[in-house]
Amino acid sequence: MKQSLRLLITPLALAIALAVVVAWAHRGAAGAEVDVLATGKLAERIREHVALCAVSTALAILAAVPAGIAATRPGLRRLAAPLLFAANIGQSVPTIAVLALAFSVTGIGFRTAVVGLWAYSLLPVLRNTVAGLGGVDPATVEAARGMGMSPAQVLWRVELPLAWPVLLAGIRTAAVVNVGTAALATFVGAGGLGELITVGLDNQRDRVLYTGAALTALLALAVDWGLGAVAALTTAGRRR
Amino acid sequence: MIRYEEATKRYGPGPPALDRLTLEVPAGETCVLVGPSGGGKTTALKMVNRLVEPTSGRVLIDGDDVADADPVTLRRGIGYVIQQVGLFPHLDVAANVATVPRLLGWERRRVDARVDELLELVGLEPATYRHRRPDELSGGQRQRVGVARALAADPPVLLMDEPFGAVDPVTRARLQDEFLRLQRQLRRTVVLVTHDIDEALRLGDRLAVLATGGRLEQYGTPAEVLARPASPFVADFVGAGRTLRRLDLLSAAAAIAPAPAAQPSSPEGPTVAPDATLADVMAALLTGDSDSVGVVDGGSPVGFVTVDSIRAALRHDELARSAENSDAPVELEG
Repeated sequence: MKQSLRLLITPLALAIALAVVVAWAHRGAAGAEVDVLATGKLAERIREHVALCAVSTALAILAAVPAGIAATRPGLRRLAAPLLFAANIGQSVPTIAVLALAFSVTGIGFRTAVVGLWAYSLLPVLRNTVAGLGGVDPATVEAARGMGMSPAQVLWRVELPLAWPVLLAGIRTAAVVNVGTAALATFVGAGGLGELITVGLDNQRDRVLYTGAALTALLALAVDWGLGAVAALTTAGRRR
Repeated sequence: MIRYEEATKRYGPGPPALDRLTLEVPAGETCVLVGPSGGGKTTALKMVNRLVEPTSGRVLIDGDDVADADPVTLRRGIGYVIQQVGLFPHLDVAANVATVPRLLGWERRRVDARVDELLELVGLEPATYRHRRPDELSGGQRQRVGVARALAADPPVLLMDEPFGAVDPVTRARLQDEFLRLQRQLRRTVVLVTHDIDEALRLGDRLAVLATGGRLEQYGTPAEVLARPASPFVADFVGAGRTLRRLDLLSAAAAIAPAPAAQPSSPEGPTVAPDATLADVMAALLTGDSDSVGVVDGGSPVGFVTVDSIRAALRHDELARSAENSDAPVELEG
């Protein structure tokens, strides 16, 4: 009860904050600001931003979860170290450099930004997949095998459900970080809320800059809440 | 029936984990693999359901080499209770117990009925416990669920690896009693691993004593192992108290003094039933004033037991057992 209440308070607060930011942006907007900060334009920037994050995070999950599963299979354990090493590189190279590298291959636009964000979010997902599966009690896995589950059944019925909270935490980290990082997508012409920030900076329009920054922060909080809610709902009744 | 033929397991160089184990567990009996750690007990157990494959030799169930069976199918026909229970923490009690029936594709209604039946069998009220999660159960309750889960699809063979290892001594004794009750009722072929000689003597129809290096030191009934340890290792493992333990396995009827008339009948003295253990008789002798204990069968006296007649009964038992295994090395107790 208390938890479900808390789940509802956050979106309410976020909605109010969004209304306040938009009202503030509109109230004092002058000259060129009016056009940039129009509701339709803001919605467009948010849509672009969400699309960048959603696509790149989804692709990161599609690549990193199977890789993490493979790296924890008996016989393939040797893969774990090199895989994590590669993902670490993706994470430690500055995002802007990853974007520049991607730019030299795929040119300007959405695809380039997605590639950069994807490379950047592989690590948290991969690391948590490996950690989550590695954290499953070997006795539980052996019980499952000993009772006659096939390897696939052990994975789907025992290992993944038990690793799920940790795996989901990795996805949540990747998604939230991606919202912030996607503000850089504007440098490869992929739009998003970062566009407001750069336009505001370049033209010394603080109102535009702050609006972009505030909306990015609100979006990050919303994504964090959303995935937190998924975690709470899918692991309800479970205690560790 | 389970049969090991020269079953050997080596993990790299050095002494094997299990060294040419050959023994046969008759159907419906409980065979306890007992010994110190490093004796290959668990290795031997896991060879039956192919969680461990022998390096050489083979294991047969009802005459069929397990190596010829599909491991997944084989395991669904063998109940398995492991150390630390290994319940699935994300599933409730009912789903845990239903694991194998569901793998076998049983109908939902049949599964539900079977779950309730099993929970009752192991002494857990289904309405109360069906939807509990493993972390909401005590250690003893978890063990019971583990046993219920292993019995779910009615397997003829049951493998138990330290099944009562993770609970306090009181709960452990109660679970052992329940195991004996269940086994009298169900008559499964059970292979049970323990490092606890008392548990082994209590639960086993037969004991396989394994020494470090995976060598079988002795295979026999608890009474045989106690009366005639096959090697100094077994004698040492069974412990100095083995004579006292033997008293648990012999009945008062076996030690009735040959000449009851020699003792004056004292109706006030302590009496026992003919099926009382000699340990009970000894306790009566030590706590009472009398030098003899009357044996009374349903109200009518049958005779007396004295310290001398107990000593004679132990000797007799020892000689009888040495005649049975005349090939086994003999080491008389002093």
